[in-house]
Amino acid sequence: MRNVLTIAQRELVSYFTSPMAFVVTVFFLFFSGLIFTFSIYQRGATAEMRGLLGSMVFLTLMMAPFITMSLLAQERSSGTLELLLTKPVRDIEVVVGKYLGALGCYVTMLILTLQYPLLLSKYGDLDWGPAWVGYLGLLLAGGAFLAIGLFASSLTRSQMASAGICLGVFLFVWLIGWVSHLVSGENSLLGDITKNISVFEIFGDFEKGLLDLKNIIYFLSLVFISLFMTVRVLEMRRQV
Amino acid sequence: MIQVEGLTKYYGPVPAIMDVSLHVKKGEIVAFLGPNGAGKTTAMRIITGFMPATAGTAMIAGIDVYENSIAARRHIGYMPETMALYTDMRVHQYLRFCGKLHGMRGGTLADRLDEIMGLCGLTERAEAIIGTLSMGYRQRVGIAQALIHKPDVLILDEPTVGLDPNQIIEVRQLIKSLAGEHTVMLSTHILPEAQMTCERVVIINQGKIIAEDTPENLTSQIQEAETIMIRVKSQDANVRGILGDMPGVTAVRAAPDGNAGSYYVDSELGSDVRAAVAECAVGKGWGLLELRPVEMSLEDVFRQLTTEERGVA
Repeated sequence: MRNVLTIAQRELVSYFTSPMAFVVTVFFLFFSGLIFTFSIYQRGATAEMRGLLGSMVFLTLMMAPFITMSLLAQERSSGTLELLLTKPVRDIEVVVGKYLGALGCYVTMLILTLQYPLLLSKYGDLDWGPAWVGYLGLLLAGGAFLAIGLFASSLTRSQMASAGICLGVFLFVWLIGWVSHLVSGENSLLGDITKNISVFEIFGDFEKGLLDLKNIIYFLSLVFISLFMTVRVLEMRRQV
Repeated sequence: MIQVEGLTKYYGPVPAIMDVSLHVKKGEIVAFLGPNGAGKTTAMRIITGFMPATAGTAMIAGIDVYENSIAARRHIGYMPETMALYTDMRVHQYLRFCGKLHGMRGGTLADRLDEIMGLCGLTERAEAIIGTLSMGYRQRVGIAQALIHKPDVLILDEPTVGLDPNQIIEVRQLIKSLAGEHTVMLSTHILPEAQMTCERVVIINQGKIIAEDTPENLTSQIQEAETIMIRVKSQDANVRGILGDMPGVTAVRAAPDGNAGSYYVDSELGSDVRAAVAECAVGKGWGLLELRPVEMSLEDVFRQLTTEERGVA
């Protein structure tokens, strides 16, 4: 456990001493701020986070590959992985440590966006309950994206390829959401399946302020599966 | 301290190392010597637990590096050939990170950091960002991270590659000073390096150990004749014939330095023809410029071992 924290801490420090985290954070805040501004200037706008949260989860999806792409791909290409994996550290500790480092970076971004609900509650009548559920959804969805990103980063030594794999997977996840919209209403099996595995359908519940254990388990299992597969990829080098 | 038995590693159908066995006693310095691609790095990666062997076992301090990898790794300090460090970290930050991964904390770690940075000459660069350091300093950081937890076994893959001559001497001295307290295994393709720093040399070529002994023994085992080098002013073509006819001399060759008056004179093992040759040269009035015994360098040994199909018992 101490090794996990040591690695997570190193990752987090490295994020904020490299330009990447700043660039990603600036873009995230710029676009979410822009959308926030548009939404409150709309005629008849209400003090709620719904529309903004939906945009933020999409921004998260676009930004996650840039947060995760270097995690393992860079270590592999520069050769630091060899040094790290010959220290008395388990593969799983490396994976979880790196994941927590990336998550820390993302949580920092989320904390900075708390200004929006704070502004809404100062000048309007914000219902904090749904807002918190929405943020939990953002944390879980983002956590799943980062885990998938970490897995993509373990597959290759090229950071660009890792980001590419990641964006491809996310695009697929997004398109599945469309399918469920297209066939919704017709009680079809395809509609049911896509609805139940679409990140955006599931995030939609959080956005509405609905807390459903099934949805939490969905995101957490995405995290566990991705991290598990990442550990397996690292272990593959040990296979004879 | 290091026990390697029958280590074999295949990359696909290609064997990288074949049946490598090796025993290193506590406090010894051993060099893995071989050309690039001989399998040195592969052997070291297996011994450090980075990857498994296809067959065979490796034990560090009695712990199997595959079965009980984490425990074995605690005894190892490893500096890989790539010498890849986190270039965005500061020297002391990085060394602290490595120390923590070895379970060191608080005051013990802080004291050890000061000590190790002093030992490796990094104290003044403690705040420097690793990416801005020269190769020489990076190499020191690499050695420092391998030593941070006072490992029993130090494994250094090509520790002097990419350094300038002064830095090479410094690093070699540092390595030599570590013997006794640490067991050191280093790899190199530079022969004098092995000769200077190590007590024992293991020559590896195409994945197989072809010789293993002290540098002196290796030289004497392979040596077939005593050789002296003589250089005279005279360009007389008869010099060669006259030297060849002297008692005890088996062969006279042109010396590899390319000078017209330089010769290598081989004589029977155990004989010393220097006095006789000098007397002859002076007597004939050739103008003796130089006369010295030629010792076979490891380089010659190496070339002989790898080019001819002969092994050394």
